[in-house]
Amino acid sequence: MTVDVVKRTPSARRLEKSRPLVWSAIGRIALYSLLGIIAVVMVMPFVWMVLTSLKSSQDLAASPPTLLPTEWKWSNYAEAMQAAPFVTYARNSLIIAVSHTAINLVIASMAGYALARLKFRGSNLAFMAVLGALMIPTYTKIIPEFLIVRFMPLFGGNDLFGQGGTGWLDTWWALIVPGAVTPFAVFLFRQFYMDLPVELEEAARLDGVSELGIWARIMTPLIKPAFITAGLLTFVDSWNNFLWPLIVTHSDSMRVIQVGLSVFRTENGTQWAYLMAGTTLATAPMVLLFILGQKYFVRGFANAGIK
Amino acid sequence: MELTRRSLLAAMGVGTTALLAGCGGSNSSSSSTGSAGGDPADVSGDITFLCALFEGATGKETLEGNLLKTFNQQYPNINVTIDYTNYSKLNEKITTALAGGLMPDVLTLGVGWIPPFANKHAIAPIADSLATRYAYQSRVLEPARFDGNLYGLPMVLDVRVGAYRKDFFAEAGIDAPPTNWTDLRKFAKELTVRDSGGSVIRAGFDPFSIDLRQGWETFLFANGGEMFSEDGREVLFGGDEGVEALQLYIDLVGDGSAIFANETPEKGMPSSLQSGNSAMMMTDNSLMLTLLDQAPELIRDDKVGWFAVANPTPAIFQGGTIVSQSATSKHPEAAAALVEFLGGQDAVLAACAQRGSVPGMDELLTSDFVAGNPFVKFALENLDKSRPEGGTPAWMEIREKIKPTLQSAVVGQQSARAAIDELTGIAEAAIARL
Repeated sequence: MTVDVVKRTPSARRLEKSRPLVWSAIGRIALYSLLGIIAVVMVMPFVWMVLTSLKSSQDLAASPPTLLPTEWKWSNYAEAMQAAPFVTYARNSLIIAVSHTAINLVIASMAGYALARLKFRGSNLAFMAVLGALMIPTYTKIIPEFLIVRFMPLFGGNDLFGQGGTGWLDTWWALIVPGAVTPFAVFLFRQFYMDLPVELEEAARLDGVSELGIWARIMTPLIKPAFITAGLLTFVDSWNNFLWPLIVTHSDSMRVIQVGLSVFRTENGTQWAYLMAGTTLATAPMVLLFILGQKYFVRGFANAGIK
Repeated sequence: MELTRRSLLAAMGVGTTALLAGCGGSNSSSSSTGSAGGDPADVSGDITFLCALFEGATGKETLEGNLLKTFNQQYPNINVTIDYTNYSKLNEKITTALAGGLMPDVLTLGVGWIPPFANKHAIAPIADSLATRYAYQSRVLEPARFDGNLYGLPMVLDVRVGAYRKDFFAEAGIDAPPTNWTDLRKFAKELTVRDSGGSVIRAGFDPFSIDLRQGWETFLFANGGEMFSEDGREVLFGGDEGVEALQLYIDLVGDGSAIFANETPEKGMPSSLQSGNSAMMMTDNSLMLTLLDQAPELIRDDKVGWFAVANPTPAIFQGGTIVSQSATSKHPEAAAALVEFLGGQDAVLAACAQRGSVPGMDELLTSDFVAGNPFVKFALENLDKSRPEGGTPAWMEIREKIKPTLQSAVVGQQSARAAIDELTGIAEAAIARL
């Protein structure tokens, strides 16, 4: 048997050593290029929205469409804001979104904790009910929820049987209470609490910590990503809600920003520049929130096994 | 608890049960009719007006800062609260209000909506004398009637007609718009322009520039067809007229002179006629607003004309907004007074001027607004050819099914005859449920 011994020159050895590095660099460049393309595709609608908000009517009508405005119409923002009381609408949206977020985080996390860690009769049924509630389409709940709100006893001139008045209609109650706690958040928190080690809970019990204390001081601080995720999703859903606030309110002082934006879309035309200006302003807080909370947000979904 | 298939199925069952429970509703069947009469100062009450017109700051100023002030000078003891709503969600607002027994005293409704809501006793008849107050064309009030009663007054008409580029017609040596479908297809072919690769760069005709339901109905009427019998209990569009109207779309696409991909652009976007991508298109009042805003030279240079689609019956689709009063208003006289006021010349003209819509009365033919808007002038002069949609109490259910069913034929999933037969079946079933 003969063995061929190949003598390698120093340059060949260097080349061989650098080959994995070259492939690694090529792979990295390809990956970054792909991610770059995806990022551009994702960000393009937002860029288009902002640029459209700064276009004149003639630019909007240009064929083929142009990316950049020929005339930068910053006045579109001021004019859009004059079309309706947007400050009031934004304030209302903020109050509702913050209330929904706070209520959802507290109550849904309590419910999620109870479903995950406490043994009680009917807990499986309760969890199935939560899962069932997740599957009900929003539109089918509109009329039943409207009837509950309208016939709310002892509110808005209603008697004990919910008759004679308007109940919660056109009040903060109608805007905040229905939909404040979402089954999705309960499900999300339950999944997080399930993953925590039982030893923590048992040690706390041995130390005489109450159940509320265990939830608040021991377990909850360990699932921050769940809170960030549920908080962000609740805030965004609430901020973007259109149909429910439109249906349960009638006075301008109770309307929200999404309802306000609809003034730019009528049967006979859409004022695109104003609509995009208003939408840019309405979207900005959401984008900011996502940028600030993106790390936790991704971790939250990853931990919950939701993609 | 582990997530098993069984637990998921059980959860779905809970969800379905809750969903079905949520589908229940209730109808209010009480009715009362009021009419404004006697001393206006004696008519009083706090009333609500659900309004899908007068959008935005200018609209609000027109309605509250101008019109209602005039109304209150005449009726100082009526206090009107306005609930502005988006037209696309008007039905949801009315439906939930009806279910909750809190119908607004006065409300705006679309054309075709009167029979369904009158049949549910949600709205009240108004004084028939209001029908002769102005010189209405006979068909203008047709959609406001049900069962022999007048249930509302038209505030704005939103018509659908054909529009064409006069410069493209002149280039092709065509003198006038088509008066029948043979000419329509012939002109469309002649006006279609392709690049060297054979791709269409200008469609001869763009029938997809308006909602397919409304476009098909226009062709149906132009072909001598009807939607429903006079009592709204029989479907009439299932005959040859309806099939031929749908077949026209398929033939135009087959000819290569219409492109389905050009489907209804969003309002406010440049139309195919404006951008030169079509020589003829179906359109509504919004085209004029968009042209004046984005391409005023086309109007200034008289490059755009209008025509009623005919085969051989000229037909203009008549949509619009009707003001009506609730059957359960606690202040029927105050509501009737507001309906009467909003259906009057001043309010109608203001609403039409804001939206570029057509006022339904001949008296306004000489107004500055009509004189300055060639589209509105054309529509008002041709209102005798207008045809409203709807006409059955089951309309709200049927209207949502028309477009997807027609679309299935246009994209070749089924024949025109099969699609119309399917639609006829849907409509007959909806009417049978009344």
